[in-house]
Amino acid sequence: MSAVPAALKVNHRPVDLEGVPADERLLDTLRWRLELRGTKEGCRSGGCGACTVLVDGRPTLSCLTLTRELDGREVTTIEGAPDHPAGRAVLEAFESEGAVQCGYCTPGFVMALTGFLGRTPRGHRSTERLLRELQGNLCRCTGYAAIARAVDRAGREAP
Amino acid sequence: MSSFDLVAPASEEEAVAWLARAPTGETAVLAGGTDLLNDLEEQRIAPRHLLSLRRLPWNRWSWTGPALTIGSTTPLVDLEYDPKIRSEFPGLIGAIEAVGSVALRARATLGGNLGRSGSASDLIPMLLALDASAEIVGPSGRRSVPVDALVVASRRPALDPGELIRSVLLPEPRASAYLWQRIRPAQDVSHVGVAAAFSPGDGRWRIALGGVPPRAIRIHPGASELPGRPSKAALEAAARRAAERLPLATDLRATGEYRRLVAHALVIRAVEAAGAMREGAP
Ligand SMILES: Cc1cc2nc3c(=O)[nH]c(=O)nc-3n(C[C@H](O)[C@H](O)[C@H](O)COP(=O)(O)OP(=O)(O)OC[C@H]3O[C@@H](n4cnc5c(N)ncnc54)[C@H](O)[C@@H]3O)c2cc1C
Ligand code: FES
Ligand code: FES
Repeated sequence: MSAVPAALKVNHRPVDLEGVPADERLLDTLRWRLELRGTKEGCRSGGCGACTVLVDGRPTLSCLTLTRELDGREVTTIEGAPDHPAGRAVLEAFESEGAVQCGYCTPGFVMALTGFLGRTPRGHRSTERLLRELQGNLCRCTGYAAIARAVDRAGREAP
Repeated sequence: MSSFDLVAPASEEEAVAWLARAPTGETAVLAGGTDLLNDLEEQRIAPRHLLSLRRLPWNRWSWTGPALTIGSTTPLVDLEYDPKIRSEFPGLIGAIEAVGSVALRARATLGGNLGRSGSASDLIPMLLALDASAEIVGPSGRRSVPVDALVVASRRPALDPGELIRSVLLPEPRASAYLWQRIRPAQDVSHVGVAAAFSPGDGRWRIALGGVPPRAIRIHPGASELPGRPSKAALEAAARRAAERLPLATDLRATGEYRRLVAHALVIRAVEAAGAMREGAP
């Protein structure tokens, strides 16, 4: 029975989990232990999507994930998005469509969309489908129109 | 310092043995944690140990002829991306897609949903309409229990001390649909959820209604009451009778009267949607 996890990787770098308290959430590990402040805390209870990161390529809420549950797994945060083929396209689309106002929700949107596009070939990226993947992401600034344009563009341009 | 420690047994036997040794009330079982972490944060529970199920081989599914057995710790997203499950159990996929957001479903599991036994669960009505049973493992071995007999009360499923939900069995593929009413798709929970499924085995419909405290209810109309291909009038009458069975529960989400009106409309639509799938069948 192992109470001690091996390690996980964050943006390809190994992170030793020895000494990480059992109750520490991935959100807090990223922001406070690893000083990767791109990942945002909104509600801390699963309802806003601001804390979304990729775990083994899949959008996952870091606020509802205990870090030590992830031993052996690979986490990608917004800081790793530029090195992710779909992530780069999503970042560029958000920028060129002006889909960012205060920016607090942006990392969550970018990672949720990156996870979906990374796994979904062109031809399966209808606007409706893409927006459905983002239902868990809230934005209090933009009114969503610019985000929707960016999402469409990313769907067309991501590899 | 953490107020609890985290243990992750590598086998079912170890997990059961750990629970048998632990003093009652000191250990909480952790699957995806989407409910449990909120319970911890709100101090609804204060366990000394969390028993994580992550290393158990329960995170997969298997087919035995037409029957599907889903391991209790399978993340819900894995199920929704499987084309065969989608075509054989469309209503289950509809219900899964109603659970929070995609990023929540990367963690949330079927076993955790049953462990929570929430009255607003979207999965429980569909499992009832599919006549699902749960396989339980515990100090006295394995047993199987209908989901209907398991989800008896919110946060208190009918499990004996030290028992774990191992898997969920769906006996046969069914034309099925799940429909819900709520304010926002991913941030709210269902005020009413309606599951409908048609059993090719006995030629009868199953309807289940959820979202209403204290728990989801299962309705099994007779073949004369709701025939395989019901007339508009028969369906209308069956839907009215089903809605009348809903407890008249008013809470901060909706009034009892509103819920019955919505349930009536959703039963009609769910049976029609599932019926349309049967038309497409050979
Ligand atoms: C923002 C948000 C939105 C949500 N929206 C919905 C929704 O729309 N519809 C819906 O149905 N649910 C919803 N939920 C609830 C939740 O996501 C589900 O109940 C989920 O399926 C629970 O699974 P889990 O693996 O995360 O469970 P956990 O949180 O790990 O466990 C839940 C409970 O079950 C027990 N348990 C877990 N696994 C087992 C097992 N194998 N055997 C015995 N006991 C076990 C745990 O001890 C705990 O008490 C939502 C939750 C959040 C936070
Ligand atoms: S902070 Fe995680 S969903 Fe809101
Ligand atoms: S840009 Fe401010 S919350 Fe979305």
